Amino acid sequence: MSVRGDSKKRRGTGGAGSVAAHAFYVYCVGERGALARLLEGELPAAIESGASIDVIEGGELAAVVSRVPLTDYDEDALQTRLKDAAWTATRAMRHEQLVEYFAARTSVVPLRFGTIYFERTGVEQMLAERDAELRRIVERLRGREEWGVNVYCDRVKLRDKIASVSPRLRELSEQAALAAPGQSYLLRKKIDAMRADELRAETKRVASEIEDALAAACEAVTRLRVLKEEATEHGELVAKLAFLVERQRFDAFRDAAERLAAAHGDAGFQIELTGPWPPYNFASGA
Amino acid sequence: MSISDFDFDSEDELTLLETLDHVLDSGLVIAGEVTISVADIDLIYVGLNVLLGSVDTIHKVLGERVLREKKSDE
Repeated sequence: MSVRGDSKKRRGTGGAGSVAAHAFYVYCVGERGALARLLEGELPAAIESGASIDVIEGGELAAVVSRVPLTDYDEDALQTRLKDAAWTATRAMRHEQLVEYFAARTSVVPLRFGTIYFERTGVEQMLAERDAELRRIVERLRGREEWGVNVYCDRVKLRDKIASVSPRLRELSEQAALAAPGQSYLLRKKIDAMRADELRAETKRVASEIEDALAAACEAVTRLRVLKEEATEHGELVAKLAFLVERQRFDAFRDAAERLAAAHGDAGFQIELTGPWPPYNFASGA
Repeated sequence: MSISDFDFDSEDELTLLETLDHVLDSGLVIAGEVTISVADIDLIYVGLNVLLGSVDTIHKVLGERVLREKKSDE
């Protein structure tokens, strides 16, 4: 999907005499000077085509914003809009590309889609009230980027592996093969339950091992929720993690991930790296 | 398969799914903590349930499409 096209920078009128029909959509917060300089470059498209990309300053900080029409972005309108997958996907990609532009060039606190203020003063007040916290986050994220790690598991492969290494399961299978039909049935039920337990335990163990090993090669780790157990061509998604990695240490991080992928591949595990992302999952607290 | 076999950028739709996961995630970083509007300042906060619902829909729509395309490639 391409959402490029309008890469021309447009300087708007800022907030002077802001009209009620517009709101301020905020992309990210960073250091005032750095953001102002980057605004002079060739920018990706704004969240709405034709909208300007501006900064609203507050102390040493500034927020990167666009003015968006309330016909699409007031609370009710937005709820309706968000149900349209194509509309939302387009905006999410534009948001991402613009935040990536800044995050790749300076340290910013990336906001997620949908941070909207009715008034310019709202953005200014946010910057003022959270000044110390935001500056701490900017410092913490400097020179670092987020990498996503998805761990997939091929259950069939893992089940075979467990069956071949678990002495208890092997023993029960042998008993079941020799037992009378009634007892054999009960034994098989027991084997199934035990196998399911072992599968769960092993999946959890490997996911933790991967998380711990990668955590040792980066600055911070966040465990993300797995939306639902989803079947993909890699198998089932069993863990979704986010890591904050120093740019200069990425090679070591990647090496660690490759070693883990090689070590657990036979048991049906696959590791997928995505990124670099603006550090969305490390942008709160301080 | 090792990680070097993964292509980070060529799968546009998979990239889109990952992007949505990041950009539309549950924790609206700062706004989430500024949901209470201050007396004279109006602030819109996009409800979490709306975003999650939206993500689910997109996952469904695009996820199925991606899987279908994979299958037809084989």
